[in-house]
Amino acid sequence: MSTLTVNGQAIALDKDGYLVELSDWSPEVAAALATREELELSPEHWEILELLRGFYQEFELSPATRPLIKYTALKLGADKGNSLHLNRLFKGTPAKLAAKLAGLPKPTNCL
Amino acid sequence: MSKSLLIISRQAPWSGPAAREALDIVLAGGAFDLPIGLLFMDDGVFQLMPGQNAKALQQKDLTANLQALSLFGIDALYACADSLADRGIFPTQVAGEDLEVLTAEELGALVNRYDQVITL
Amino acid sequence: MSTLHVLSHSPFTDSRLGSCLRLLGSEDALLLCGDAVHAVQPRSLPLEALEERGDSLRLFLLDEDLQARGLECPAWATSVDYPAFVELSIRYDKVNTWL
Repeated sequence: MSTLTVNGQAIALDKDGYLVELSDWSPEVAAALATREELELSPEHWEILELLRGFYQEFELSPATRPLIKYTALKLGADKGNSLHLNRLFKGTPAKLAAKLAGLPKPTNCL
Repeated sequence: MSKSLLIISRQAPWSGPAAREALDIVLAGGAFDLPIGLLFMDDGVFQLMPGQNAKALQQKDLTANLQALSLFGIDALYACADSLADRGIFPTQVAGEDLEVLTAEELGALVNRYDQVITL
Repeated sequence: MSTLHVLSHSPFTDSRLGSCLRLLGSEDALLLCGDAVHAVQPRSLPLEALEERGDSLRLFLLDEDLQARGLECPAWATSVDYPAFVELSIRYDKVNTWL
């Protein structure tokens, strides 16, 4: 367990750096989490984070890599819904890292 | 060629962990690209009913998870016709794009087709 | 592919036996152990359902569970010990345990 301070508020993180309370998420929290991962969020990142939050709202699941790629292709087209694009944006582990930044639980089926 | 796996899910959605566990096996298998089938039988067919509200029991929404199966590469979904009929459920009430309703004879053939079967 | 279906729950408390009989194929066999052996309780409904299947049904019962409950193995079924149970689970292509 550790905490992240955003706008003077302490946000609890689990041992892997995921939000303990999903409702703590805000764009500022996402940016602070990204900084921890030495990542600067571009519009291309935000697009995926929003997509993931939508996925979670619809299915109440954090997608593993394959479903994430499929869903991205479905919503944003094949030029974005491919492993190359997602790996480049999220340092090679899109399912785990993007879920973390989007304030989703760790994907359970990412073994 | 990896072995094909049929999961038979026969517990109601909110009665205990069995329905969730069956679904977790399916999702994990899907992540490994195994050819997977999911058969809803007995009270398991209640998982398919529309209008459920997991929040009333402060639970995660299993039925929402089911909608994601095709994204996880699982499109072989089956329901037992007799189990539906016993419960007064019309196949049209639970029909989904990927859901196939099977008679008793077809169920036998289905089980036969898969390399492994897990019943929960 | 042949399947050995294994049941261990009493047929009087849930629907496993009925559902299993529903999808039992002609190559398949049924093995009852634990409380599932109560299915051969004389004059009971489960026994009737099993007898209705006639010669097409291959039924095995775990001997020690029968003995413990004072039940007899019907003449048309086969009682097995644990080594025979293991042998059966190898002989069939797959085993489906109704958990």
